[in-house]
Amino acid sequence: MNIRERIKNHEFILLDGGMGTMLQSAGLELGGIPEMLNFTNPELITGIHRKYVESGSQVIYTNTFGANRLKMAKTHKSVQQIIRAAIANAKKANPEYVALDIGPIGQLLEPTGTLKFEEAYEIFREQIEAGQDADLYIFETMTDLLEVRAGVLAAKEHGNHKPIFVTMSFEENGRTFTGCEIPAMALTLEGLGVDAIGVNCSLGPEELTPIVKQLCEWTNLPVIVKPNAGLPDPVTNEYHFDADRFGNCCEEFVKMGAVILGGCCGTTPEHLRALADMLKKQKPVLRKPEIPAAVCSANKTVIINQPRIIGERINPTGKKRFKQALIEHDTDYILNQAIQQIEAGADILDVNVGLPEIDETEMMQTAVKAIQGITDTPLQLDTTKPDALEAGLRIYNGKPIVNSVNGEEDSMNTVLPLVKKYGAAVVGLTLDKNGIPKTAQGRFEIAERILNRALALGIRREDVYIDCLTLTASAEQAGVMQTLEAVRRVKTELGLKTVLGVSNISFGLPSRELVTRNFLTMALYAGLDLPIINPNTESMTSAVRTYKLLANIDKNAVDFIAHYGGENAQQNTPVKPQNADMTLEAAVSAGLKSEAGAITGVLLENTEPMHIVNQYLIPALDKAGMEFEKGKIFLPQLISSASAAQAAFEVIKSYLCEHSTETVNRGTIVLATVKGDIHDIGKNIVKILLENYGYQVIDLGKDVSYEAVAEATEKSHAPLVGLSALMTTTLPSMENTIKLLHERCPWCKTVVGGAVLTADYAEQIGADFYAKDAKETVDIAKKVFQN
Amino acid sequence: MISLSEIDRKQAFRYMGLHGEPDAQMLETADNCEKKLLSAVRPRYCWNIFQKENLKTILIGQDIQKHLENCASVILFCATLSQSTDLCIRQAQTADILSGMMTDAMASALTEQLCDEVEKEILSQFPEKFSTWRFSPGYGDMPLEVQPDFLRVINAEKRLGICVSEGGLLIPTKSVTAMIGLSDEPLPKSKKGCGICNLSKTCPYRMRGVHCS
Repeated sequence: MNIRERIKNHEFILLDGGMGTMLQSAGLELGGIPEMLNFTNPELITGIHRKYVESGSQVIYTNTFGANRLKMAKTHKSVQQIIRAAIANAKKANPEYVALDIGPIGQLLEPTGTLKFEEAYEIFREQIEAGQDADLYIFETMTDLLEVRAGVLAAKEHGNHKPIFVTMSFEENGRTFTGCEIPAMALTLEGLGVDAIGVNCSLGPEELTPIVKQLCEWTNLPVIVKPNAGLPDPVTNEYHFDADRFGNCCEEFVKMGAVILGGCCGTTPEHLRALADMLKKQKPVLRKPEIPAAVCSANKTVIINQPRIIGERINPTGKKRFKQALIEHDTDYILNQAIQQIEAGADILDVNVGLPEIDETEMMQTAVKAIQGITDTPLQLDTTKPDALEAGLRIYNGKPIVNSVNGEEDSMNTVLPLVKKYGAAVVGLTLDKNGIPKTAQGRFEIAERILNRALALGIRREDVYIDCLTLTASAEQAGVMQTLEAVRRVKTELGLKTVLGVSNISFGLPSRELVTRNFLTMALYAGLDLPIINPNTESMTSAVRTYKLLANIDKNAVDFIAHYGGENAQQNTPVKPQNADMTLEAAVSAGLKSEAGAITGVLLENTEPMHIVNQYLIPALDKAGMEFEKGKIFLPQLISSASAAQAAFEVIKSYLCEHSTETVNRGTIVLATVKGDIHDIGKNIVKILLENYGYQVIDLGKDVSYEAVAEATEKSHAPLVGLSALMTTTLPSMENTIKLLHERCPWCKTVVGGAVLTADYAEQIGADFYAKDAKETVDIAKKVFQN
Repeated sequence: MISLSEIDRKQAFRYMGLHGEPDAQMLETADNCEKKLLSAVRPRYCWNIFQKENLKTILIGQDIQKHLENCASVILFCATLSQSTDLCIRQAQTADILSGMMTDAMASALTEQLCDEVEKEILSQFPEKFSTWRFSPGYGDMPLEVQPDFLRVINAEKRLGICVSEGGLLIPTKSVTAMIGLSDEPLPKSKKGCGICNLSKTCPYRMRGVHCS
């Protein structure tokens, strides 16, 4: 019987037990590579498989846990050879099913590690393709949800529709090493359409109990449990559960509803026999979990069971400074927008990076990766381009919202299949080729049409959110109540969650904030779940918090009091210089960021921007630089001054964006931390200092390939390239980058720095300059650009 | 599990090159960074004890051989502040570069504190033994290239989620591998000096005639 039929029939499925445990007792040498035994001792491997089959195991995992091209690099065997041999060894034991076992790659993905999502995908694809003779694919002991996503996508796209099982390893706090939580795992993987999910390794049956319980509450998929034989002894590393105790403890999982069981570290054929005996006495328990509407990143799940704020600020529409940032590929600017909104109270962030001048597909990936690299807040991918949407969905870590589909055939045909494939939630706009219906009834009908199409594709009802569309009150006053009526009906009659961008309501009216805030409250009362607002506007965020208080959602006003009670009361007054006598130089030299920004704002009222840069900012920085050189101040104070100058600069940049076409640019410099190196604080300090002096910095980030440096230098024709490395092991990368630059960009000079570098070594690898610190890099830039 | 409730600020300030007394603004930044960092770190460690002769692929170089000269068994341990710490540093850096640098330096100081605690904890299991100071790959002539094998023999990838990047770095970044030799006999005193350090040529502390720790 096909294993999918067994799942459908709701039968128990028995997996196998520990392989490593058995190999160790058979004398695998310390630190040896177990996958090589598929060649050197195939009888041993088949023998172990056979013992599990004899104990009752139906599914045998191949001995391929680490059989990927990175871990096998030193074995002189290809991934194909190893996997084929392992499958053959498993088949010789005659199990009902052979599962291609796939463990973690062994390299952490960006941004903590250096492995790119696309590389991870390719590594898994190779394993999947080599394992076509297996009956199913199983990813086990996974800890990074993004890595799992890469694997599952590879298996979905290259695995001939074979079943996919995924088990992850959790700690007692209910999270994996990377912080992934159980609801996020369940939402994401069920969304991607795997066949069964569960947990393995890390803990014994007793410690896994609460984790399995939570998983059973969050998924409709069959639940897999493959625990260790208890916890290991700290000195001997031996597991202490005997077979009977193991079998008995696992009964608890069956009662919770788990149907696919096996053993991990420390378990033997005896443990599996005890497990099989226990299962014979049990019947599978039917579960009917009620899984709420929710979106997530790997580390955070937002349940839509109350109004949740979607922050709208990551969007260039009508924002010149944002447009400039996109054109300059300034991800730091976008990240700051993200952080500000989260601090102000956003639960979800809308991400729109569409601009005719840029490659939106590439920018969507860059933005999603960058934002997910620094925050756990789930995202809403907002684009009209299917390519950009898919690019974002592919690399998104978790379950996002897609913004948006509408009632037009074209839109539903392109967007909804992507929503289904990647397991996202979707915003449906109540408009179609005839425009926005004037009446609530018209919009309700479109909502219904979108819902039915989504359901037909297998998208869950809970994952369809409807936007009944806000029209401006000044132009269509009668339409306001129609929108609210539509919200109410969609919510109560269709049982769907609702979304609204509210700020449009007040367009063309005086006192916009007043109008918008009151409309927001009315909409919340009508049933709005996901207001899309600017959370930095305190009156909006406070309206949501107040509504939650009054609607008895914020029980005992805990959240409300935390924000508005006593000493924590937030002030929403614009920053004004607190000390009227303070000069910009003084603010910079004291490292006062908000003061420096505020004073610059005041200065701009009657001073030319470039005058401020040349007469105030740069002299202040020069002074700090001199004091640093003389040892009067130290690096932290210098950085502190640089941060304050940066705040002043941001005010000037925004001003220039709004008021002229002029930009500050004393020369273009490419900066990168070299390939293999992920220490980028030094490089970032250099960047800020250079920017403070008016240089335009193209920051390529960390772990940058030689080619990427050369390419950016060619494209920008930058006269100066700065390279940083912190480790002795990555110095050769620096040398190679310089070599390539000499070939492809003979005009450019190179400046190098980093803890392990010396002037001698810099010369030896062909660098033009060695900078011992950030200050010296500025001096070198001045020399190169003669300014 | 080990919990770390306080950061050795003095050490962190030294790492970031701050000498003398920090001013009020610096202290305020430090307070903020410390609070966030302490709630972000997830200290973990794992270890095993081996007979020295079983570690031939790892104990490479004359310095480690000399270090373990009189020891029959060796403890290998790996300790980490985990990925959440890297995230915390990235967040701090995005908000403000000074906070980023401060958080990074504090995390480095905390990693050392963690190693001290781990060492204490492990050695408490061997009260009758004498031990060496802890020696890490990269000290003296011991190459960083041993890291992958080191992690494999104590199964640190599976137990702690640590790996070695292609560039030879431990990831998460605030992670340490180290060895402690054990002996039944008292060991001759050896000092951890600058001679063994790869950074001795460029070390800013040495230039000023002081030491890093």
